[in-house]
Amino acid sequence: MKKALTSALVAVCATALAACGSSGSSGSNGLSASGGSSASGGGTTIASKLVLGGSPEFKTRTDGIPGLERVYGVTFGSYKTLDAGGPLTINALKNGQIDAGDIFTTDPSIPANGFVVLQDPKNLYAAQNVLPLINKAKASPGVTSTLKAVSDKLDTNTLAQLDVHVITDKQDPAAVAEGWLAAEGLNKTGTAAQGVSVKIGSANFQESVLLAEIYAKALQAQGASVTTRLNIGSRETYVPGLKDGSIDLIPEYSGALLVYFDPKATAVSSADVYAALQKAVPAPLTVLGQSSAQDKDAIVVTKATADKYHLVTIADLANNG
Amino acid sequence: MIQWLNDPGNWTASGGILDQLWSHLQYALFALVVATALALPVGLLIGHAGRGRWLVTVANAVRALPVVGLLILLYVMLAPHIHGRGDTVYLLPTEIVLILLAIPPILASTVAGVENVDPAVRDAAAGMGMRGGQVVRRVELPNALPLVFSGVRSATLQVIATATVAAYLGLGGLGRFVYDGQASQNFAERDAGALLVAMLAVAADLVLALAQRYTVSRGVSGRFSRRTLVGDPVATADAPPSTHTA
Repeated sequence: MKKALTSALVAVCATALAACGSSGSSGSNGLSASGGSSASGGGTTIASKLVLGGSPEFKTRTDGIPGLERVYGVTFGSYKTLDAGGPLTINALKNGQIDAGDIFTTDPSIPANGFVVLQDPKNLYAAQNVLPLINKAKASPGVTSTLKAVSDKLDTNTLAQLDVHVITDKQDPAAVAEGWLAAEGLNKTGTAAQGVSVKIGSANFQESVLLAEIYAKALQAQGASVTTRLNIGSRETYVPGLKDGSIDLIPEYSGALLVYFDPKATAVSSADVYAALQKAVPAPLTVLGQSSAQDKDAIVVTKATADKYHLVTIADLANNG
Repeated sequence: MIQWLNDPGNWTASGGILDQLWSHLQYALFALVVATALALPVGLLIGHAGRGRWLVTVANAVRALPVVGLLILLYVMLAPHIHGRGDTVYLLPTEIVLILLAIPPILASTVAGVENVDPAVRDAAAGMGMRGGQVVRRVELPNALPLVFSGVRSATLQVIATATVAAYLGLGGLGRFVYDGQASQNFAERDAGALLVAMLAVAADLVLALAQRYTVSRGVSGRFSRRTLVGDPVATADAPPSTHTA
């Protein structure tokens, strides 16, 4: 019934809207399609045939469209303003309204739709490794080694898969965390963190909640007494909380955290960001060992597009096609 | 904000103010035309027949739906059915939402306008031998026109203000500046966008006020120039008006 209704709606209105649509859309595509014009002289690039979609700020952000041009010489045919890796961008990529999207690397839609994440060898997007941000007073050797064991096992694909369970399948983050720790053998009971009491917080999005639960369960297994305060909000809220001791530990992302503490930071690679972050984090806070899991911006295309143009890295988009 | 508005580049660039103003008007106009085409005849019928008032209640109840929520819901429902490039998948939900928003004020005021036509006038029309359709077209509609206009004007204000959400779905329109400005923390752009939307809504209302002035019968609006007032002996006399001094 619902399906019949929607298809009827589509049929009736599509024709009526066609005229309105063809001219109405021109305004929103702010990018001029210079790549395909005679200016370059070297034939047309793959990117100039494609439509990129992403958040409004991606149009002007230094690592957005200007960054793609500066670092990789990639200029897309046009840009469609949608959302920050949300349902609009993902649906548009799935249904062909756009050919490439700015989506986060651990987004569950990537494994779910077989999307291809284009590699970023020149680190246009600064590293965003998952790591624990902790109050130094609580970073006992036992806590440190327990969290390091977790970080060592976590990588981007793993985190994306766990996100599928939590975000797409709506499973309880605590249960997903427990399941993964058990599968990795990180839930063995021990005494490394015995006698430590830790208040673990999380930001107000699902992946942060999941990571906080992972830290919590791992520390609990090692004898720590853990309380959680999930969905706190943004950095502006929880960093002061870490400093005054209302929470002790929170999962963080290296690149974003570095820019928060040092807005002028320029480090982009995982190692550089981590080194800079260790210097930039103010007392009494510190960061512990980072995992290889990264949740950062990526240019994502469908499998069909990747195969058609033989795309592996962002740089391939600048090839003639 | 003034600075942003004063930059000619912001007006004429591709995707600049002129482009978006035009898109904004297109979205709003399309919705208003469709809504009027639906609500006006239905409203006249309900008012004339005195039956089916529940339709007005239903239409009013639809207004309680939050616009952005409905927009996303419709988008999610439609997205799997529409493939390929183009903006149809974004335009459909936007226009449906705007049309749903515009129908209730037009419908309700048309019904009220027709219902409030003096029964004596309606009787007189019937007494002159007019059929039902003639009564609607030649008596009830002209008499209801001031209220119909108030409905259309209220719908226009709402639709122009709300067409801002088109930008939320990746379309153009003046909402583009509001959303982009907010997202990139260019607050001058955001505020200028909001101001432009408000100014457009007021301008459209003035245009409709003007249209109302010239379409509503003077017999209904009571807007007579002093010279043509019935009973004014000078105005009804043969003397040319130029010789008359008040």
